[in-house]
Amino acid sequence: MDLGTLRELMEINASRTRNPLGVSEESCGEWAKGLGIPERGDSVLYTGCLYQMVPRIRALSGLLKRLESLGPSFLGAAMKMDKLMLSLGLDAAGLLRPPGGRYLSLLRRIALALRTSGIDFAYIRREPYNGVLYHDLGMDSLFEAQVKRVVERLYGAGARRVITVDPHTTYMLRYLVGEHIESFDLEVVHYTELLLERGYEPRPQGGMEATLHDPCYFARWNGLIEQPRELLERAGIHLKEPEFSREFTGCCGGPIESIFPRLSSEIAKKRFEELKSTGSGCVIVSCPICLVNLERESKGTGVRVLDLAEVLL
Amino acid sequence: MNLADVSRLLVKASSDKFLRLSLDRAILSYWELRKSVFAKYPRLRELADEVRRVKVSCLDRIEDLTKAAMESVERNGGFAYAAGTAEEARRIVDEIVGDGRVLVKGKSIVSEEVRLREHLAEGGKEVYETDLGEFLVQFMGPKSMHFITVSIHLNRERIAEFLRGFLGVDVDGDDVEGMVSLVRGFLRRKYFEADVGISGANVFAADEGCAFIMENESNVRLSISLPRKHIILVGMDKVVPTMGDAWRVVEVITRYSGYKVSSYVNLVRGPQRDMGPGELHVIFLDNGRIESSRDPLLREALLCLRCGACQYLCPVFWMVAGYWGGLKSVYSGGIGVIWEYITGSKEEAGKHSFACLLCGRCKEACPMRIDQARILRGIRSRVMRSEELEQMG
Repeated sequence: MDLGTLRELMEINASRTRNPLGVSEESCGEWAKGLGIPERGDSVLYTGCLYQMVPRIRALSGLLKRLESLGPSFLGAAMKMDKLMLSLGLDAAGLLRPPGGRYLSLLRRIALALRTSGIDFAYIRREPYNGVLYHDLGMDSLFEAQVKRVVERLYGAGARRVITVDPHTTYMLRYLVGEHIESFDLEVVHYTELLLERGYEPRPQGGMEATLHDPCYFARWNGLIEQPRELLERAGIHLKEPEFSREFTGCCGGPIESIFPRLSSEIAKKRFEELKSTGSGCVIVSCPICLVNLERESKGTGVRVLDLAEVLL
Repeated sequence: MNLADVSRLLVKASSDKFLRLSLDRAILSYWELRKSVFAKYPRLRELADEVRRVKVSCLDRIEDLTKAAMESVERNGGFAYAAGTAEEARRIVDEIVGDGRVLVKGKSIVSEEVRLREHLAEGGKEVYETDLGEFLVQFMGPKSMHFITVSIHLNRERIAEFLRGFLGVDVDGDDVEGMVSLVRGFLRRKYFEADVGISGANVFAADEGCAFIMENESNVRLSISLPRKHIILVGMDKVVPTMGDAWRVVEVITRYSGYKVSSYVNLVRGPQRDMGPGELHVIFLDNGRIESSRDPLLREALLCLRCGACQYLCPVFWMVAGYWGGLKSVYSGGIGVIWEYITGSKEEAGKHSFACLLCGRCKEACPMRIDQARILRGIRSRVMRSEELEQMG
């Protein structure tokens, strides 16, 4: 992988769509269609767009892995080609996009659970991407611009509190925004915290056995360890813990996928094996990146990988 | 900057079945030991936090502390030196060694950092690593793979084959104890032949000028007490104010390495009058440490105690061991990439920084709670900002 090409690709996509994978802000807000959610309010449900990007991540990661196995020069050449097509206005990655129905419905379930818990909230119709890939790759100016965009939209919607659905957006708003915007004073709460606070009773799943995967940013960086456990227990799910869990949880490999796709896949395999070794037929995650990576490794094993929202709500 | 070479290296290492098996064994064994150590010593976390406070306070006065340590060494009758660079350290060692011919060494990462063994060998000296793992790495390569388990990448069949050629005797590849004993027999002769013994120090107490040197095989105490000269090469980051601080550091290193008690802790305070080396030389190495202590991004890395806990528990390290960091770098894993950035090639470290998952298990594992993810991301940011990115390597 050539970092110069990657940087350019990120910059081109950011200027076109404000999203590293070219997913538009309009389509990021599609999950709320028909739910009658207002566009202004004290509380704003902000998804950060990661779930919406899952189909695109899946298509690209498969492609990157195949290209890398052909040899590093193929990967570099393909990146250059993709960059060229993007700059001509042809979204090469977009041609590979499968439908994202599952992920939109997952977000809708979260929204409905919050609503049945008596929580009023608004959403942002043209929803901006959370910027974490720019941050993680060290592209500070793109990240800063994106953070400003997110914060402007949140304030613009009248937010005093932000409800988040994934660990990366939660971390970004809780810990990273302050480095760029001094006056940021919005309360940031993950939907699981809010549901617990409101005494939410999940859909009963009596007798179901599942292995819980703590996503790194969820458990370690945000300290959200007990929340999923308590909610799953309330649903009557019998939880199995892998050897490495809670603050010592294992990573799904996702964060290095865009640069080292094959190594990333090896790490995902290893983590999936750890999770599978508990013997239950279901793995529950609460991060879109973990979902896409662990699900890929689960193919043909008979083990299902589900998002927390798909089990509870 | 092209990462293709890094990718090739890491993918190759991750597909090495033997390496994976060794890593599985070593890491799971460390994890069990760690759990039992923490169960037995529940106040360990508090002790580590206490050590962190001391070490953080040292960062602001790294030069003053080094000066105090040097004065103590001289007061005790030893010779103290401050080396600004790796080259300067090598030159000082050359002067001390003089016409000495044979040197024995305890495992020392700082001496690897300045490529001391290779330098001395190029100058016609015979140099032997006396730590068993390091001895094997010296002759079999390619580099130390972990701060503690340095030869994790070598299997006994390959070791037996090497020993057959090196010692010219018959070696049974299934008899591990027998192989250990053969190496010990070879090294025993070298301890007595050696003119100079070289070691590092895990921590150095400035008040008494005392080096604390930890080991598990008793090879270091032979290396530093039989030859007539002893050279200690220690990074300035290892100096703490008092003996009490140093003892606490020793306890934390031991327990976070997975041991309840360290097999041997050698205290060296000065030259010996009757038995042991009559000359003690202590070289305090800067090599980027002072500058990094003032760099808000890097300074936290100077708290590293080299216990290896972060390496054991890093998901990337579990796949590729010390290949992460590259074969040109002495240091390995996430913390190793940061130390390569501080002491070696910024370009190499920049490339390898992109293999970090930013998952943060290292921070959880680390007694000093060093936030490697933050530092490595910051290094990426420096790489990405560099205008010459596309022209580099």
